[in-house]
Amino acid sequence: MISPMLLERPGSWRWIGVTLGFAVALVPTLPLVWRAAVATDGFSVGDAFVPALGNSLVVALSVAAIGWIVGLPAGVLGGLYAFRGRAILIALLALPALVPSFLWAIGWSAAALRIGTGASQALTGFPGTALAFCGMAISVVMLTSLATTRSLTASQIDAARIAGGERTVVVQSCRHGATTAGLAAGLVGVLTLSDPGPGQIHGLRTAAGEMLTSFSALYDFALAGRQCLVLTAAVLLLALPAIAMAAPRLSTQLLARQSRAPVLARNRRVSRIAIGLLTLLAFLFVMLPLTGLLLPLLAGAEILATWNALTRTGWNTLLYAGGAGLAAVTFGIVMALLAGRSATLGAACLAAGLALFLQPPALIALGFVFVGSDAPAWADPLLRSRLTVCLALATRLFPVALFLGMRAWRSFPSSWSAAAAVHGVPARTFLRRIVVPMFGFPAGTALLIVGLLATADVGTVLLLHPPGQASLPLTIFTVMANAPETLVASLCLAYVVAAVMVLVLIHRVVGRIVH
Amino acid sequence: MKTHRFVPLLGCLALCVVLAGCTDRGESEQPVVVIYSSVDEFFARPIVEGFQRETGIEARLVPDTEETKSTGLLNRLIAERNRPQADVFWSGDPVRAAVLKLKGLSAPYRSPAAAGLPREFADADAHWTGFSARARVIIYNTDRLSRDEAPSSVLELTDPRFRGQACLANPLFGTTAMHAAALFSVLGKDEAERFFDGFAANGGRILSSNGEVRRRVAAGECTVGITDTDDFNVARQEGRPVAAIYPDPDGMGTVVIPNAVVLIAGAPHFEAGERFIDFLLRPETERLLAESAAAQMPLRQSVAVPAHVRQLDSIRPMELDYDSLAPLLEELSRGFLKQWVDRNSR
Repeated sequence: MISPMLLERPGSWRWIGVTLGFAVALVPTLPLVWRAAVATDGFSVGDAFVPALGNSLVVALSVAAIGWIVGLPAGVLGGLYAFRGRAILIALLALPALVPSFLWAIGWSAAALRIGTGASQALTGFPGTALAFCGMAISVVMLTSLATTRSLTASQIDAARIAGGERTVVVQSCRHGATTAGLAAGLVGVLTLSDPGPGQIHGLRTAAGEMLTSFSALYDFALAGRQCLVLTAAVLLLALPAIAMAAPRLSTQLLARQSRAPVLARNRRVSRIAIGLLTLLAFLFVMLPLTGLLLPLLAGAEILATWNALTRTGWNTLLYAGGAGLAAVTFGIVMALLAGRSATLGAACLAAGLALFLQPPALIALGFVFVGSDAPAWADPLLRSRLTVCLALATRLFPVALFLGMRAWRSFPSSWSAAAAVHGVPARTFLRRIVVPMFGFPAGTALLIVGLLATADVGTVLLLHPPGQASLPLTIFTVMANAPETLVASLCLAYVVAAVMVLVLIHRVVGRIVH
Repeated sequence: MKTHRFVPLLGCLALCVVLAGCTDRGESEQPVVVIYSSVDEFFARPIVEGFQRETGIEARLVPDTEETKSTGLLNRLIAERNRPQADVFWSGDPVRAAVLKLKGLSAPYRSPAAAGLPREFADADAHWTGFSARARVIIYNTDRLSRDEAPSSVLELTDPRFRGQACLANPLFGTTAMHAAALFSVLGKDEAERFFDGFAANGGRILSSNGEVRRRVAAGECTVGITDTDDFNVARQEGRPVAAIYPDPDGMGTVVIPNAVVLIAGAPHFEAGERFIDFLLRPETERLLAESAAAQMPLRQSVAVPAHVRQLDSIRPMELDYDSLAPLLEELSRGFLKQWVDRNSR
């Protein structure tokens, strides 16, 4: 009989397992990294790359800061109080996380053009680029803070209320969620670094834009590979000290256990503040760009063309999202179990996960294309199919599942494994009855998050999808250049409606977060 | 807990989706042709569907995105060179086709359907063949500029009367890159550099794409810009206050950008690829593209066009050696144009 204590046992096998796991995840990037390493022209990244990297870092830090400052109180208020329109406002504010950033950038640009030349010029460069990302940052931080606040115990909230009233409850809840919200904001900041869309649309030179130029204008894969390595190194240098500082607090926070679920409080004054804040955010970061995006519909909708596009791409869109989510969750949870409770291994996983997040989608996708091109035809089901798209997306996004899995595992008392071992519970039963249900919620959450991020990743799907198997966002991307605005707006509306349907699903079935 | 019952269900559903969907269709009995296309999907798909209807060959289209917004399809073709998936590359311009030839990715094919197409719009070694063309035009906002005030040459965009009013797409990408290479080819290095520097010194704006040029001029944020005829036509059809000028009729002429079709070397469905090329090069396709929102000019004079589409003989095309533009563009993209974009964007 295998003892449940196996899961708690330290040893070098954990390091070997985690290293192997990340090595497998990094294999697709090797063809291009190898080209970068063996290039004959030294390690030049181009004169313009360093200033562009500076711009990218400023955008990432600003977006993360705005997301943290605004999203944290919004999430805390949403997690503590009951007020009119709460569910709708939260759902609206979750929308930016579900729709690709380039659509928000176009929405902002179109809205500004309608408002007037001054508004359009004001958005050029840094402001427009940051605004396009801010919605996503606020959304992710708000949802994270909401979940963190809901993980407080009712007695903790009651104690704070007795000690200093509602103000103390809000302040202490903000303090409780600040680190996790900071990590979420940081992750969004990191994601912005490899996304060229908003910078290109609003005319800001960014590191991702420079890499895109190396790929698409110069066809210089080695230069793009070097630029990617420099970007990764720069961000790790900045992020590692922050991770090291945040780790102890995260551990303390993660180990807290919930004993009695809190009830949403009703307080007229705080509710007014919450409604005001959430409405303002929803107007600024959702309704305004959405209006710009959908306003052409006033001239009529292209229902038939939209329906054709939906029927052609809907199934593939679901498949890529579901497949990527499933692969990422499986891999991420296994890696989380391998990382166990070791603080050093946890920090190493965070760093390696961040490094993977930073890779431009093209780097991983082109790696798959190179491998698929060199492999024999019998490997096509693995390297040149829709499964390949799912695997490539999961390779980049599995750290989401890894982080959530690590969080779940560390909030799980090791004494339970010991107790099970003492009482002779077989490992299989322990896994089935205790571990799997405990991982259920983070796995479901990771599945949804990865699925949504995968849907928004147009670059990977473009480079890897089998001929004739495009996704809906890719279709929007391929027609938006020259198709009439009414068609683009109709497709965008279809996408937004689909995103809202996902939100409804989350709300109804995984309603634990919202309620 | 309800959630815990839901999660395995969600997992099972996702697994079913993956198992059901990831097993792709293999080579079926029905013949197949795989077409990679940098032509906007909105224009390319009806033609491809027409081919499928007429021949019964299943046509799988892989359209490209705007180059400035994602790593494009040409990179995929280059990366797949050892075992290509594509049979045909339908390019929106001959420069990308020439890049494929330079990199040894194309195969020669002289289509019998190319009869009547001018030879100057085809590769001498038959690696690509040009058909229906767009042109690079000056688009201007008719609310802000009358026909008499509008520039007749692209070089006039450096004129102080257009200070801060002109725009152009990023010349590292797409047809603007080809236009830049054409200017260097025709004007020579010094004069072309003077134009680009003068444009920037005059407050000219660099935008992300030709579509963005169309939008900004139509909205009146810019008064004039340089874009493609298909972009202009979309704005015209939407009833925007815009007009177009085919520039330099008395000077260097207008840049004409024919579509170019390429047979991929080592294509898995070589014969079907040849049949698609034959289909594409027919006069009928030129007629359809002229009548579509792309409003493309047929290269054959015999093809009838709607009133809003110009015939090739009604403009003065710039005399270009399209094959030589690809290496020139590569040199410019690493040199002057890259530095110019770096200097003049934020």
